Amino acid sequence: MRVLANVIGYLLVGSAILAVGLWVDNYYYFQLLTFIGINTLLAVGLNMLMGYAGQISLGHAAFYGLGAYTTGILGVHLGWPPLVTLPCALLVSGLVAWLVGRPTLKLHGYYLGMGTLGVGMIVHVLFREWSSLTGGPSGLPGIPTLSLGPLEIPGGRPYMFVVWGVVLVSFAMCQRLVHSRVGRALRAIHFSEQAAAAVGVDTARAKLQVFVFAGVLAGLAGFLYAHMVTFVSPSSFGFLVSVRIVAMVVIGGMASIWGSLFGASLLTMLPEWLHVFSEYEVLVYGLILVVVMIFFPQGLTRGMLDLYERARRGKTGSGS
Amino acid sequence: MNAQEEEKPAPVLELDRVSKSFGGVRAAQEVSFSVASGHIHALIGPNGAGKTTLFNLITGIYPADDGSVLFEGRDVGRLEVYERVAAGIARTFQNVELFTGMSVLENVMVGLHVRTRCGFFGALAKWPWVRREEEQARGTALDWLKFVGLEKMAESQAGDLPFGWQRLVEIARALASRPRLLLLDEPAAGLNARETRDLGVLLRQIRTRGVTLLLVEHDMSLTMEISDRIVVLDQGRKIAEGTPREIQADEKVLAAYLGQGE
Repeated sequence: MRVLANVIGYLLVGSAILAVGLWVDNYYYFQLLTFIGINTLLAVGLNMLMGYAGQISLGHAAFYGLGAYTTGILGVHLGWPPLVTLPCALLVSGLVAWLVGRPTLKLHGYYLGMGTLGVGMIVHVLFREWSSLTGGPSGLPGIPTLSLGPLEIPGGRPYMFVVWGVVLVSFAMCQRLVHSRVGRALRAIHFSEQAAAAVGVDTARAKLQVFVFAGVLAGLAGFLYAHMVTFVSPSSFGFLVSVRIVAMVVIGGMASIWGSLFGASLLTMLPEWLHVFSEYEVLVYGLILVVVMIFFPQGLTRGMLDLYERARRGKTGSGS
Repeated sequence: MNAQEEEKPAPVLELDRVSKSFGGVRAAQEVSFSVASGHIHALIGPNGAGKTTLFNLITGIYPADDGSVLFEGRDVGRLEVYERVAAGIARTFQNVELFTGMSVLENVMVGLHVRTRCGFFGALAKWPWVRREEEQARGTALDWLKFVGLEKMAESQAGDLPFGWQRLVEIARALASRPRLLLLDEPAAGLNARETRDLGVLLRQIRTRGVTLLLVEHDMSLTMEISDRIVVLDQGRKIAEGTPREIQADEKVLAAYLGQGE
């Protein structure tokens, strides 16, 4: 049942992307879908940490930014090719996550939230103030487009395919993790850290592993972002971005890998639809989030499944 | 009973003058006793006597201020909680701490954590040995559920089970880590008379599988019936130790209980 639902999920998403790629010829849609893919990567990583292990990161944009800036700085200043900057970007994000997580995750409670909040701010200040390296507040332009060896992958359609390929692979990875010994331990920690330890789980280690994993996925998202936009600036990786990633996870549904896709899609597309409200845009945006949380406190995925169940029961009920 | 006493099996657990204070409260004061292999050992005493404190010291929730805890002759006083589980000490909680949103089977499979190896990269790669290990873990977990009589509930959510069954799942989860010493914190609390009787039978079965048991229990008829030896605590001190018959006749024990109005 679970396997079947997943296969359907992969087929649906894969064919939707393929359909857009084949029948639509509009750069704007390609770009929007690429952004959704990048945000989905961010959300699914954070969901592993929040939804499964029950730990919160309030500075996830920092790891996203570290991936993007590492890619940008190495590419622009040193002229390194993407195949070399990619492992560097993942390493930097993962390493910083490890440095933050190691002391804070030994403790129980919300210390990781505080730690990541601080790191988010520090990293953001570094991006803004270390001008010689990062280009300061006006950003770092001139990042080359993605190329893998001799293979050039320009923005638009090909790039969208690459990003969504990465998203689907990362989904498969997350699912393997969730349904393994490691994933069970993480879910156990979410319900009771004390009981998980009493059953033999090294809770600090398990939490640290999944946090570094989430950081590395964010770094990967940053790498893809930098090569897509070919420009990075501090404002793309501030506190509000961190909050938005948390919102994607919560709106889509905690502990739901497919939920991350819904959450990221909705929160990426919503601002595009809301342009018509001009100055009231932010207000309507907030209002929609509040309404979603009131009616679907478990997130959209769970909420829609419940609605479907109720509709089906209602139909059979009236029939009898 | 006498024959067993004379054989004097090697101790699985030895506490040597273990002390612990919380602020001004001395929750354990120089408590010493040892638990012989294959025995069912009980800790009793009035509320606040320090029974749960001793459990937490043995399992490593917090370290002792003084004294040593030896498990199979090895000092485990510095080990973390999970390391002691790997060494062979498992426990259950007074209020039953299941992972409520996970299935009954998954709960028991978490109990197998220290006996399985698949790590982060193993899970991502899903090597053939990882698949095999996962299948074996599933089978072993089902066996333990069968042992406590709940194999039919394997796919239910743990939180949906009635309390008495949750307690059995917790015992199965603890047994899955293949302990040689199992600590049970008030296993009969919240159970009705029949469930308590069944529990007594189950505890004896666990012992025949080579697991030594140490329990804190308030249900005196159960304790007296199944225990080989009893340690009585009062205000953090050991005031008596002996067979159930000796304890029942001990004046200090009677005084401690009557003094508390129990």
